[in-house]
Amino acid sequence: MADDDYDMDGGYVDEPIEPEPDEGAEIEEDNGNNEDIPDPLLGEGEEKTEQEPVERPRKTSKYMTKYERARILGTRALQISMNAPVMVELEGETDPLEIAMKELRERKIPFTIRRYLPDGSYEDWGVDELIVEDSWKRQVGGT
Amino acid sequence: MKRTQEIIQFTKEPYIEDVGPRKIKSIQFSLFSEVEILKLGEVEVYRGVYYDSTKKPIPNGLLDPRMGPPNKNGGCETCHGNFRECPGHYGYLVLTLPVYNVGYLGTVVDLLKCICKCCSSILLDDKERRVFLKKMRNPRTEPLMKSELQKKVVKKCTSMTSGQKSVTCSKCGYMNGMVKKGQLKIIHERGNRFLDEFNAAISHKIDLKTSVSVPPEIDPKAVYSLFKNMSDEDCELLYLSDRPEKLLVTSIPVPPIAIRPSVFVDGGTQSNENDITERLKRIIQENARLLEDISDTSFQNKSLNAWVGLQMEVAQYINSDVRGVPLHLQASKPMSGFTQRLKGKQGRFRGNLSGKRVEYTGRTVISPDPNLKITEVAIPILMARILTYPERVSQHNIEKLRQCVRNGPNKYPGAKFIKHPDGTEISLMFSSRKRHADELKFGYIVDRHLEDGDIVLFNRQPSLHRMSIMSHRARIMPWRTLRFNESVCNPYNADFDGDEMNMHVPQTEEARTEALMLMGVQNNLCTPKSGEILVASTQDFLTSSFLITRKDTFYDRASFSLICSYMGDGMDPIDLPTPALIKPVELWTGKQLFGVLLRPYSKMRVYVNLTVTEKSYSGKGETMCPSDGFVYFRNSELISGQLGKATLGNGNKDGLYSVLLRDYKSHAAATCMNRLAKLSARWIGNHGFSIGIDDVTPGENLVKQKQEEIYQNYKKCEDRIQQFNEGKLAVQPGCDAAQTLEAEVTMALNKVRDDIGKICMKALHWRNSPLIMSQCGSKGSPINISQMIACVGQQSVGGRRAPDGFIDRSLPHFPTKSKFPAAKGFVAHSFFDGLSATEFFFHTMGGREGLVDTAVKTADTGYMSRRLMKALEDLAVYYDNTVRNASASIIQFMYGDDGMDPSQMEEKKGRPLNFSRLFMKVKATCPPRGEKGLSYSEICEIVNERLSYHDMSPEGGCSEAFRASLSDFLIKNLAETLKRLREALLLGEEQYAGGDREYLENVALNISGITKKQLQVFLNMCISRYHLKRLESGTAIGAIGAQSIGEPGTQMTLKTFHFAGVASMNVTLGVPRIKEIINAAKKINTPIITAKLLSAANLTAARMIKARIEKTLLGQVAKSVKIVMASRLASIAITLDMETIQVSQLCIDAYTVKQSILQTPKIKLKEQQVKVLNPRKLEVFPQANKDKLHFELHRLKNKLPAVVVKGITTVQRAVVNKEQERDRKSDAKGETYELLVEGTGLLAVMGIDGVDGRNTKSNHIMEVQQRLGIEAARISIIDEINYTMSSHGMTIDLRHMMLLADLMTYKGEVLGITRHGVQKMKDSVLMLASFEKTTDHLFSASVNGRDDKIEGVSECIIMGIPMQIGTGMFKLRQCVQQVELNYQSEPMLS
Repeated sequence: MADDDYDMDGGYVDEPIEPEPDEGAEIEEDNGNNEDIPDPLLGEGEEKTEQEPVERPRKTSKYMTKYERARILGTRALQISMNAPVMVELEGETDPLEIAMKELRERKIPFTIRRYLPDGSYEDWGVDELIVEDSWKRQVGGT
Repeated sequence: MKRTQEIIQFTKEPYIEDVGPRKIKSIQFSLFSEVEILKLGEVEVYRGVYYDSTKKPIPNGLLDPRMGPPNKNGGCETCHGNFRECPGHYGYLVLTLPVYNVGYLGTVVDLLKCICKCCSSILLDDKERRVFLKKMRNPRTEPLMKSELQKKVVKKCTSMTSGQKSVTCSKCGYMNGMVKKGQLKIIHERGNRFLDEFNAAISHKIDLKTSVSVPPEIDPKAVYSLFKNMSDEDCELLYLSDRPEKLLVTSIPVPPIAIRPSVFVDGGTQSNENDITERLKRIIQENARLLEDISDTSFQNKSLNAWVGLQMEVAQYINSDVRGVPLHLQASKPMSGFTQRLKGKQGRFRGNLSGKRVEYTGRTVISPDPNLKITEVAIPILMARILTYPERVSQHNIEKLRQCVRNGPNKYPGAKFIKHPDGTEISLMFSSRKRHADELKFGYIVDRHLEDGDIVLFNRQPSLHRMSIMSHRARIMPWRTLRFNESVCNPYNADFDGDEMNMHVPQTEEARTEALMLMGVQNNLCTPKSGEILVASTQDFLTSSFLITRKDTFYDRASFSLICSYMGDGMDPIDLPTPALIKPVELWTGKQLFGVLLRPYSKMRVYVNLTVTEKSYSGKGETMCPSDGFVYFRNSELISGQLGKATLGNGNKDGLYSVLLRDYKSHAAATCMNRLAKLSARWIGNHGFSIGIDDVTPGENLVKQKQEEIYQNYKKCEDRIQQFNEGKLAVQPGCDAAQTLEAEVTMALNKVRDDIGKICMKALHWRNSPLIMSQCGSKGSPINISQMIACVGQQSVGGRRAPDGFIDRSLPHFPTKSKFPAAKGFVAHSFFDGLSATEFFFHTMGGREGLVDTAVKTADTGYMSRRLMKALEDLAVYYDNTVRNASASIIQFMYGDDGMDPSQMEEKKGRPLNFSRLFMKVKATCPPRGEKGLSYSEICEIVNERLSYHDMSPEGGCSEAFRASLSDFLIKNLAETLKRLREALLLGEEQYAGGDREYLENVALNISGITKKQLQVFLNMCISRYHLKRLESGTAIGAIGAQSIGEPGTQMTLKTFHFAGVASMNVTLGVPRIKEIINAAKKINTPIITAKLLSAANLTAARMIKARIEKTLLGQVAKSVKIVMASRLASIAITLDMETIQVSQLCIDAYTVKQSILQTPKIKLKEQQVKVLNPRKLEVFPQANKDKLHFELHRLKNKLPAVVVKGITTVQRAVVNKEQERDRKSDAKGETYELLVEGTGLLAVMGIDGVDGRNTKSNHIMEVQQRLGIEAARISIIDEINYTMSSHGMTIDLRHMMLLADLMTYKGEVLGITRHGVQKMKDSVLMLASFEKTTDHLFSASVNGRDDKIEGVSECIIMGIPMQIGTGMFKLRQCVQQVELNYQSEPMLS
């Protein structure tokens, strides 16, 4: 099941430019809103995220747990409901959760998961690095 | 609050750094000192009065307005807030003399025991003191060990003063006696020696002749000054974190009025005061009396009285249940103290902190609706208008929300409030809704009514497992009930006889997402208890599926298409399959309907492959079974079998839905359930299915057969009874005649019902509705049918036949001592016939027992579940795959040894995959298509190569067991079979020259061959699936385990005794047994040791060993025990009965008997007194005076026969148990024997010659722990729980029991899941306080200065903090792209 989506390299390098045009033109005040919200999340500074990972090989599972999935989708849905820019092209979806699911399916949620080990150390995993259990649709074929 | 205005106005607001939301990190418990109380108090309260005549609170009274407004009209004089705003302020009340605090009384006594009552130094000598202090100061000592140490110190000091001994203080030479706790006082007994000395001293000085008695009490004031003198080091030694004088009450903080509101009743004429206020009033009065007495110098003695009174009042203020309060001091009506506010189910901890009340909920009666999806719940409009969801306005929903706002709170798709981003809230009840709708802007929040597709949590009590609360999607419907698909009844254990259910609406986007992803019905189709499917078709759905898939159902094009359209909502494409019959008319079978149901159109890639044996399977012929009981789906086509509960119902692991769930994920299974629900509801509505009186009318033949059967068995019973009366009944091993009779008669009578049931099932017409229901498993068993039609059968009370309610008979309608079936509760009539008066009475007796049982059971199992949950609640899997508790101590290094998720186990015994089913699926879905089959060696090669990959190694996360089982399946089973087959077909490895080689090769391939492609697909599927079945980090596996063990408890009948192989050897089973195991009981009801024998096949050896284990008394082997009176000396002569000894193969002779006699403690004989004459004779000489000799002789004569000469004293009896050897394939004839030993003494049994000590087990866990160690105890816990559960027919994944056993043993001793055990497992004070003994834990925590880090589940709930489990175990961080800032101006031209 997991073999067909092996695009591990697809990071978030070139994404933000594309969704911009179809979203950005509409609401300017939202962007103002939007900047306020993720602020506490990025909190400690972006540099740390870039430098921190892989001091030693990461040991935790490469599968995304359902708890991680639920929280990512929940947080992302909350952001979207608060008018955050959407990272995917929409096909008529309006429910924030559905949009978040679509973003996850396309691995475009700009989050990192900080997994804490019991000794207090942690591992950072990008959402796009983890294997997400596929939805049923591909196997069953549509509907 | 108005005070804020008084703050200096700055011209510029000072910069205050926003540190973000604060979080409680830990709670420190400590003692409250007098200074703190005085600092805290705003007002001194010394007047025990409430209001003056103008209903104004009196200053310095209990309701002084400086402590907050007493009611809505008053204001606070401290903060000037009103009733709503003022948080309340403390007052203080100074006591004239110190008194004890009841909570600390025990601690105070312990301290006094340890210190000198003169100079306050510790009684231990210096060396000991230093040793203990060193241990106490060790930073690595845990609180639990510290309190143990403190107990040791106390014990040591107490032992010095125990009895009449007194110890002299090494520092000051004061004599210290024993300190005891009296009734709210402390007694210091200094012994007579001290008093004598005292009297002597007095007699020298004064001319008083009367001896002086010193009151033995130590008064609180003395204690106070003693404690004040204690050195800090001694305090530390006694595990006090603070000064000990704080343990006494010198002043009382008067709590704010907010927590003890005063209410005016009777229209404001009278005020109703809180219990606490009233208690304080009494304290003030008593305090004033004491002050008066003290200041009045004339009477010295009287002051003591008031002091005692004050002590009592203060004690009751803290704990109103305190013992030792004299009647006259007790309040007339019960008034609760502070302890009572915290304690118990309704107390602060369990009632308000652990369980909080919530808004946005609904509750009403439930009813079924098969047209809803299983994930949906129909919510009445009435409810949807009240429950709201705060939706933020965005471009997607602004129009919808405008409409909602316009509709307002009373018209259905409406809204109740609008919240602006600045926090203002507008109710839409009255204000102009149209304007608000037009002014709606992005970012506003609209509390809109519930609408279709909203996520709600749905719950039914008792919430025994996590499937008792699941999230559904809302469907707003008319009428007044909550409705849902019947398939979801099972997890809630709901029926529609008036049940009510609750509903909650999550209020944030995060909450609803988590609810949907983790609690959604489609994500909880199967139970984590055993991995069986729980949400599945029930009742009518099964009946109609059964009827549809009958072999003789055929539909023409019109009706088949019609039925196909029943399945969906008319929107789904459907491809009609090829008709089963083409000529003369196109006809489709009912079985084809299920093909359509599974795979409606050909583009849908669902290929189900499974075989199930239904209840009706005849046991042979597989697909050709005459009763069509073998269900075979191949590539989503139903080849054979009539579908019933085994395929479609709940509680199985290889039914249709389980396979769909595993192979095609939950959505596929859920859609199939939806389709089947719709199909069968509509189909059965047209077809019709009902039950009438003719369905239960027995035919003539049946009546005759029944009569015959009953007659036969009655006769058999009569024979037995006759034999019994004549004393000729052959006794069963280990029973007496009466027991044998009962056993045989009961067996015969139970057989009657079963036999008649079978006859019924045969005799009934195949269209008989009850028969159909029983066959397909939707409702009713053959026994139910036979009870209706033929014979109700034996009624049992307490596991035996109806007891005697009258003298020697059950009812006065029967002769005395009658043991005939009818007289002991056998009901020969059927419900259709009607019961006779006596039968009816017996039936009610049986029925009553059932009712009582359930009533008792619920309370018992409920408490058990609660304890289990409290003990296991904080165990979770961490990111390094260990199972740990909240304080990060490891319980298991790998959950269940392989880290698999119990809810995803596909195999019956809890192994991850069902290889044979998967193999079948692969063979069916990947046809060979001309590829050649692999040979034995090729298979081995491919398999071994694949197994050497990284993901099959232990580092790659694969357990050794799985690897072995996979290679076993492929190489041992598959390849070997192929090899044998090829040999049989003469294909062999070498060249076979025959011309039909190709043909034979094909045959071999089709029977058990496999192509390369198939093998690779199979291997990859197994391995990738295995890796997905790992337990995910963050899972609260402890809670799941607790539920998995607690929930089946409710289904177990309370008191069931079960035969352990041998008749009359009972073992406790059911809830009592589980309770014993979980409590780690020291004394269990039926301890049984199973002793394996070295020569297991030898019956005589077994008998011999049995005789040696069972205790044999001297009286049993002695021919005679006689008093011999000779002229010179008298003795007792014992002659052994060597024949008996020989027969029972005991190795006893006079020498061993002598040893046994000497070892018997109560007889008190010495070596010389027992003389062996010859191997079969010995003499005992009493040693006594002449006058006592006679008595001594008779005493010995009576005592000697009771001497145990052989065997183990703690053993009641032993039984030889015959075991048919099954597991060894080689010789099926072998019968082996083992011994079942009733009683304890594992060590002794293991030591008996001939017993295989290494394989001897006991069901007594504590004994196993003592004798064999903690690991053996762990295994024993697992085995015993497993045995108990499986003997009730309940399958629970072994991993849950392992976790429980590991938790019980991880501290190195077996800890029960009781308040004592849990206390040792957990560090958290709050958790323990919310469990049991609330105040005790709080008091001791404050004495010891405990620090509660808020890490566990209970603590987090109490503090309202998200817990570190599941979605709280990790942190999410937003990735921010680094923006390249370009400060240069952009080039004008590029």
